[in-house]
Amino acid sequence: MTQPIITTEGKRAYPPRMSDFTKPFWDGVATGSFRTTRCDACQRPSFPPKPICPHCWSDQVTWIDLSGRGRLYSATVVHAGPAVFAQDLPYRVGIVDLDEGLRIATRVLDETRFDQAVELVVLAYDDGPLYAARGISG
Amino acid sequence: MTSNKVSILGGAALPVGKLQGLSDAGTQHLEHEVLAKLIVEALADAGLEKEDVGSMILTLPRPYTQQKYFATFMANYMRLPCDGLVMEVMGNGMTPALTFQTAVDQVRLGRTKVALALGINFETGTPAPEHMMSSMRATGDVDFHVPFGFTPISWYAMDAVRYIHEHNSSREDLAMVAVKNRAHAMHNPIAQFRKPMTLDDVLAQRPIVEPLGLFEVPGRGDGAVCLVIADEDVAKETGKPYVNVRGEGFYHEGAHQISEVPNDMIAFEAAQQAGAKAMAGAGIGPDDLDLAEVYAPCTIVEVLVAEALGLCPVGQGARQAASGDTSIGGRIPICTSGGLLSRGHPAYVTALYSYFEVLEQLRGRGAERQVTDAELGLVCTELGNYNAAMVHILEAVA
Repeated sequence: MTQPIITTEGKRAYPPRMSDFTKPFWDGVATGSFRTTRCDACQRPSFPPKPICPHCWSDQVTWIDLSGRGRLYSATVVHAGPAVFAQDLPYRVGIVDLDEGLRIATRVLDETRFDQAVELVVLAYDDGPLYAARGISG
Repeated sequence: MTSNKVSILGGAALPVGKLQGLSDAGTQHLEHEVLAKLIVEALADAGLEKEDVGSMILTLPRPYTQQKYFATFMANYMRLPCDGLVMEVMGNGMTPALTFQTAVDQVRLGRTKVALALGINFETGTPAPEHMMSSMRATGDVDFHVPFGFTPISWYAMDAVRYIHEHNSSREDLAMVAVKNRAHAMHNPIAQFRKPMTLDDVLAQRPIVEPLGLFEVPGRGDGAVCLVIADEDVAKETGKPYVNVRGEGFYHEGAHQISEVPNDMIAFEAAQQAGAKAMAGAGIGPDDLDLAEVYAPCTIVEVLVAEALGLCPVGQGARQAASGDTSIGGRIPICTSGGLLSRGHPAYVTALYSYFEVLEQLRGRGAERQVTDAELGLVCTELGNYNAAMVHILEAVA
């Protein structure tokens, strides 16, 4: 499943680091697909993607595609933030429970209410991608 | 024959305030000078001598403290040879509680009869937006949370939103915690914020992390505390009132800020587990406690931890602040010091202020904020979004 890509001017305020292991995740995000790792032994997915399953500590994991959909568990609007985010203030961040049973934290682009459906979108900055959540209408 | 019990025998604490930075005369408060005076004051309070002390466990100072390796610097500054540990402890908001626990363990292990648990947190010389550049990296995954702009208290705000949503509560309900704690702080001479404050005052402040405004989140402050921890045999010999550590509990839920497996984020499982363990060890239940001093940087956090510890029914924690249940004179007074919101929150020493408050209360030295006949007190501390909690049950010994 491919998620919408929103071209976003400027550079990311606090770019995430990328390892050899997480590169497939970020490469996927750049093209609109969200992936993570699932354990071959216990079959449980993990987020962020990890080379070791946090549940059973197996080192046999496989990349899987995520639906990019979930529900907004909670959110807040930040009015006082770290120096690098000053130009974004105020901004909304939230916690999303993905359909695959994974909880993530990200920006929220709209006023979606709690427990309502959201989708992940790609924010394509000049220096690389980030992602965010927004409500799904209907 | 040793009783094997560990006691808190004395203490001293600096009034919380803004001390870091240059004065008009171009001078500064220096951390080691401030702490040296507190050490002497605390030992006098304990009725002990310099030669009795065999270990110094310090909180790690903030990175803004110029003097590095502060513990060994202090050992020199006080010219204090030790055969118990001299070290600094770091554990985010739990730093001072881990410091206290390490000092207790030094005594329990027999490494020393008397240990100091102490520290100083100077940070107000650094503006909040700059300070958050560091603190945001402690309260989130640097690669998968921080890039979105989460701040330490943004997680608590999301707890508040969820609580209001699930329990049909309101910002007004939660804000009564701040009003209640201010009323306590007005009677605490070492509290940072002591002016009278109404609910309207709280609600009128600018938003910081919605729905929480300026008076529902902690201000920033500098502070320092020294506690004297001793084998109970030493405590008994002094003939002074003291406090015993009667129960201890720690639990880390194996998650940081959020659990990647969706859970009930506002259940504060770590506080539940650590509290249950500490109370079981002490052979008591929540109803036996006379007061509780909990680590709650925001109004909502006090509500959630009070519910997790069984001090208030789930869903009722905020309303019980409004009803007076958690006030001095109420069913179970919480944060008689004024808590993090009014006593103040110099983070790396905050919990040392909590132990100090319970020490004072259990020795009957709470003056106008004294809880009548206080014999059993609880201290709860945390890190992250209560991903880990440490609980101590303290008992008065006359």
